[in-house]
Amino acid sequence: MNCCMLPGPDLLSPYLLVSAVLFACGLLACLTRRNAVGYLMGIELMLNAAALNFVAYGRFRTPLEAGHGQVFSIFVIVLAAAEAAVALALVYSVYRTFRDVDLDQTTTLTGSDT
Amino acid sequence: MSLSLLLFWPLCAVVMAGALSTALARNMVYAALSLGVTLAGVSGLYLFLQAEFLAAVQLTVYVGGILVLLLFGVMFSRDILGAHQTPKPLPLAVGIVTSLLVLGVMIRTGMAVIHTRGANALSLVRSAPETWDGNFSPGSTVHLGDLLASAYLVPFLVVAMLLTVVLVGALVLVRKEGE
Repeated sequence: MNCCMLPGPDLLSPYLLVSAVLFACGLLACLTRRNAVGYLMGIELMLNAAALNFVAYGRFRTPLEAGHGQVFSIFVIVLAAAEAAVALALVYSVYRTFRDVDLDQTTTLTGSDT
Repeated sequence: MSLSLLLFWPLCAVVMAGALSTALARNMVYAALSLGVTLAGVSGLYLFLQAEFLAAVQLTVYVGGILVLLLFGVMFSRDILGAHQTPKPLPLAVGIVTSLLVLGVMIRTGMAVIHTRGANALSLVRSAPETWDGNFSPGSTVHLGDLLASAYLVPFLVVAMLLTVVLVGALVLVRKEGE
């Protein structure tokens, strides 16, 4: 079975480490980016970390459960695609209103600059 | 050490470096391209996890679709080169501290899981299980299709509805007034 696939290391920990670093970098991007698209990139990174974790845990349980983790990852990827489409539509409408996508400038509701 | 293991560790390093660059690159185009490197690298990790269908989906949906959308989105930015993108000191400090805390918690949780479950419980079971009928191997594309059409049929249909709603909703959001 799976004769043509790459044999990976028999370890869960490297996948968990990569996933944790991906999540932390996504969080860092979300907390520090002032550009709306950069913020979106952070969200994509965090979703990807979650998907990688699903696949890795599914793979390292009994073989019968390998497929279930992958199905969850498929749902994560689909939801990420939907989220990106809606978020970029929002970014476009923000751009039409403010002529920029800097999150520090979109402060109409704070009422401080009126 | 086999050749594929020699590939594995540099791949992990590339994925993590790409993620860091995505978070910190001043130039938004560089950040988007680093995100592409990271996503392609995660697709390679899926191959190491014997998830060939997910690797293909990752490449087509993320690198082929979402990344192109994000590059379009970057063009909306007035300040693509990032001359004024330096984060303010307070958000930067809060972001770095929070990210490091979350990273520590996640690594600690992962180590705790590995310790409590034991190395044997989380190492690969090489032999095929006795209960498997042997038509297709677990985790293969055929198995995924079987799961999506049986156990996960309702979530599958809900996601299909959601994609339709998202398509219409995105069109409504970008529609010009009065059309």
